[in-house]
Amino acid sequence: MNIVALFKLVPDLVEELEIDGNGTALNMDFLRLIINEFDDHAIEQAILLKERGGAQVSILGPDIEGVEDVLYTAASKGADRLIKLTGDFQGKANNHAMARAVTSALKELQPDLILTGVQANTDLDGSLGPLLAEYLDMPYVGYVSGVKVADGKVITRKEYPGGLVAEMEIKLPAVLGIQAAEQPPRYIAVAKVRQAMKTATIEVRTLAESDLSGGSTIRRMFKPEAGTRAEMIEGSAEEVTTRLLDIFKEIGVL
Amino acid sequence: MMPYDAVKSILVLIALLASFGVFGWRCYLALQGLRRGQSTPAFGGWGERIKGLIVYVAAQLRLFRFKAPGIAHFFVFWGFLTLSLTILQAILEGLLAYTNPHFVLPLIGNFGPLALLQDLFILCVALAILYDLYLRLIVNPERYKGSHKSQGLMVLMFIFTIMLTLAVTNGIRINLNDDLLQRYRPVSTLIGGLFAGLNPATQTIIEETAYWIHLGVVLLFLTELPEGKHFHIVTSIPAILLRNLEPRGRLPAAPEFEGQVGVKQVEQFRWRQMLDFYTCTECGRCQDMCPAFASGEPLSPKLLMMSLRDHLKDYSSASLPTRSLIGDAVAPSTLWACTTCYACDQECPLFIERIPLIVDMRRYLVNEGEVDALLQKTLANLGRYGNSFGQSERMRAKWTQPIQPVIKDARKEAVEYLWFVGDYASYHVMFSDITRKTAQVFQKADLDFGILYDAERNAGNDIRRVGEEGLFESLAEKNSAAMDKCKYNTIITTDPHTYNTLKNEYPANGNHHAVLHYTELLDQLIASGKLQFNKKLGYKVTYHDPCYLGRYNGIYDAPRRVIRALGCELIEMPRHGDRAFCCGAGGGKIWMEEQPEVKERPAESRVREAAGMSGISTLVTTCPKDLVMFRDAVKTAGLEGKIVVKDLIELVSEALELCKETVREQM
Repeated sequence: MNIVALFKLVPDLVEELEIDGNGTALNMDFLRLIINEFDDHAIEQAILLKERGGAQVSILGPDIEGVEDVLYTAASKGADRLIKLTGDFQGKANNHAMARAVTSALKELQPDLILTGVQANTDLDGSLGPLLAEYLDMPYVGYVSGVKVADGKVITRKEYPGGLVAEMEIKLPAVLGIQAAEQPPRYIAVAKVRQAMKTATIEVRTLAESDLSGGSTIRRMFKPEAGTRAEMIEGSAEEVTTRLLDIFKEIGVL
Repeated sequence: MMPYDAVKSILVLIALLASFGVFGWRCYLALQGLRRGQSTPAFGGWGERIKGLIVYVAAQLRLFRFKAPGIAHFFVFWGFLTLSLTILQAILEGLLAYTNPHFVLPLIGNFGPLALLQDLFILCVALAILYDLYLRLIVNPERYKGSHKSQGLMVLMFIFTIMLTLAVTNGIRINLNDDLLQRYRPVSTLIGGLFAGLNPATQTIIEETAYWIHLGVVLLFLTELPEGKHFHIVTSIPAILLRNLEPRGRLPAAPEFEGQVGVKQVEQFRWRQMLDFYTCTECGRCQDMCPAFASGEPLSPKLLMMSLRDHLKDYSSASLPTRSLIGDAVAPSTLWACTTCYACDQECPLFIERIPLIVDMRRYLVNEGEVDALLQKTLANLGRYGNSFGQSERMRAKWTQPIQPVIKDARKEAVEYLWFVGDYASYHVMFSDITRKTAQVFQKADLDFGILYDAERNAGNDIRRVGEEGLFESLAEKNSAAMDKCKYNTIITTDPHTYNTLKNEYPANGNHHAVLHYTELLDQLIASGKLQFNKKLGYKVTYHDPCYLGRYNGIYDAPRRVIRALGCELIEMPRHGDRAFCCGAGGGKIWMEEQPEVKERPAESRVREAAGMSGISTLVTTCPKDLVMFRDAVKTAGLEGKIVVKDLIELVSEALELCKETVREQM
C-alpha cells in the first residue's frame, strides 16, 4: 500500500506575529516556520499504519526553511520516501492554489491513501484535504482520529462534538484529514535525525505554476482590536429583564 | 591403624583442596559475566590509585561517615588482616600435624607483640560482631530493607565462631602449657580459664574439636565468599584501585552499538562497571541518602545494584536469556526517578558509581523515544528554541531591558568575564529580577563583563543526564561556536548545573577557559576589597548546598564566606555540605511528570528541615532551580511566613543597598 502524508509549514506562534507594511499579510522577515501540528499527527498516523500492516510511506512538503528537519525526522520514524516540492510559494496562504499545484506530484506517487492535517492556522480559504480530494477525484473524511486498513478500504474513526464517535468505511484511494494520530507523535532523538541526514535522500519535485483562483483575497490583516466594553446589568431578575427589554427597543430589534 | 596426626594432615589437605576448588569455581562462575563486558579505557594515575588503597581500604575513611558501624567494620577488617596469620598457622599446623607436630610460623610465630595484637583483636572483632548483630536484629535500620538478611547474619555467625574457636584453642593450649607466648594472650587465657578445671585429656578433645570447627568455618566461609555481598572482601581492592578518577561532573560518552545509543543489554556495560555489581555490600548507605527513595519513588540505589548483579548472573549463566535488562531487571520508572544528585555515590564506601549506569540506560530509552509527554515536549523545545521554556531565543536577554548602562554584548566587544546566564536565570519569571540584581552587583563591583544575548543556548548539563546525548552535543557545539567568537578570560555562571557542564564537559569541545560560579567570583571580589558592604545584614540564615556546586564540584566554602561577609549568622541544617538533600529538580527531573508514588517531595522535605530550625528566617540558595523548587515547596508545605527562600545575590544586593533601584519581587 502506498501512503502519502502531506505537510505544511506554518508560522511558529512562539514568535510575535507582525503585519507587513501593506497590511494584508504577515511580515515574513521575523517569522519562523514550524510543522503544522495536525500534519505532524498525519505523519505519525502514516507510520503507525506502516508498522501495523506494512506500507510504503512517502512524505511531501514545500521546499521552504525547515522542510529538511521535518523530512529527516520522518525518515527516522520510518518513512520511505522524502520529497520536497520546489516552486512558487507566493500563494502560501491559498490552499486552492496549493491543492492544484501538488495534484500532479501526488498522482505520480499513485497513492492508495493520502493523509494530511485536518486544519492549519493558515487555512484562510478552507482546509487542504477536501480540495485535494476534489482535484484528485477521491473521497474525503476529515476530523479523523483513528484509521484501520482492511483490503481495499479503510475504516476511519471520527469524533463528533458531544462524545459521539462514528466509524466510516471508505473505498481506496482516499484522502483523510487527520485530527489526531492514534498515539501522540513520538520523540525522535537528535542522534537519530543526524543519522538520517547521513543516510536518507530527499527527492525534489517541481510544482506546477501557481493558480491563485478560488482562494480568498485578503483586504486587511490586523491584530485583535479592543471593542467597546460590555455593559453588566445588575439587579433582580425583574429589573434585569426590564432593562434588557429597553435595550432591545433602543436598538430596534423589538 | 593410621595415627590421628596422619589422618588429620590428610583430612586438612582434602578440605583445603575441596574448599579452594569450590571457591575458585564459584569465583569463575560469578565473574564470567565480566568477560562479556565492554572494554574500559586504560587506567592512569597509579599514584592516586595506590593512595586510594591506603585511604579507603586500609584507613576505611568513607566508612566512618556512619560512625558506629564504621568503627565496627574497621575492627573486623583489621582483625581479619591480623588474624589471617593465625588462619595460616591453623592450616599449616594441620597439614604438618604428622611431619612437624609443633609447627609455628617462622619468625612471626614467635613474636610476642604480634601475638598480643592478635589476641586483642579476637576480643575487638567479637565485640564488633555483637554490635553488628544488635544493629541487624534490634535496630534494623531502613537502609537494610531488601538486603539479604540471612546471608548477613550467617557471615556474622561465621566470624563470631571463628573468633570463639580460636580463643578456645589458644586458651586450652595455654592451660596445657603448650604455648610459649602465653603471657601475650590475655583474652585467650581468660577463655582458657573456663576449661581449666577439666582433665587434660578432655581439654585436648575440646581443643581438637574447636580446631576443626575453626578450620571448617574458615573454609566454609571461603566457599561462600563469591555467593553474596561478602564477595566485596575480594572485589573491593580492585574496585577501589580502579575507581573513576575523572572529575565527577564529567559523564562518560554514550556507548554506541550499531546505531543503538546507550545500554540495552547488560553485556553492553563495561566490565569495570560490572565489577561494581559484585562489589556492592548491600549496606544501604546510598539508599539512606537518596532523595528519590526518601520521597517514595521506585528507586533504591542499593536495590538497583542488586538487581543488576542478579541479572548479570542470570544472563551469563543462561544460554538463552529471557529477561530483559530494562523492563524486567530494572523498571524504566526506576531509571527516571534519579535526580543525579550524587548523594549515593558520595556515600558509597567502595566508590561504586550508579549515575553513569542509570544515564546509560536512559540514553537507550531516549534514543528509542520512550520518554514521558512532558519530557518529550521539553526536549522538543530545547531542540527547537535552545531553552526548556519553549520561548523564542530572541527573548533570552529580555530581562536586561531596564538595566543601565546596557550590558555589553560579548560577541561585539572584548570582556574580562563572559557571563553564561542560563535558562532559568534568563527566562523564569521568578528569577529575572534576581538576574537583574546579579547584573547590578557586577556593575557595582566595576566588573568588565558581557553576555551572549540570543546566541546563548541551554548548556545541556541536564539534557545529557536525561540521556539525550545528541541534543547535548548539538547545543554544546552551538554554545562553543558562539563563545569561540568572543574575546574573554573567564566564564561566570549563575546556575551550578551550567557551571558543571561548562567546567567539566565543554573542554571536550575545545573550551578551556576558567569557569567560576558567581559565588566564587563574589568571594574573590570581597577578598580583594572590590566589593564592600555598606551595612551588615545581621540575619540568622541557613544555606542549601546545590548538588552540582557542592558534591559535584566541591564548592562549599565560597558561598559560606560570602554569607558571613554580609554580616549574617549561618546555622547549618542537619543535612549540609556533602550530605545536602537534593531539591529534586536535577538530572532533568524538573522536566518530567510527577510520579503518583511520591509521598513527600524532596523540596518539601528540605524546606521543612530549614523551617524546623529555631530562629532561622531565611533559606539561602545559590541555584535558580533550587529557588524555584523551594519557593514552590514553601507554598505547598504551608510554610509561608515561617521561612523565606532567597538567592544569595538578593542578600548581597540588599547589603549593597541596591534593591531600591529594582522592581520589587513578588513573594
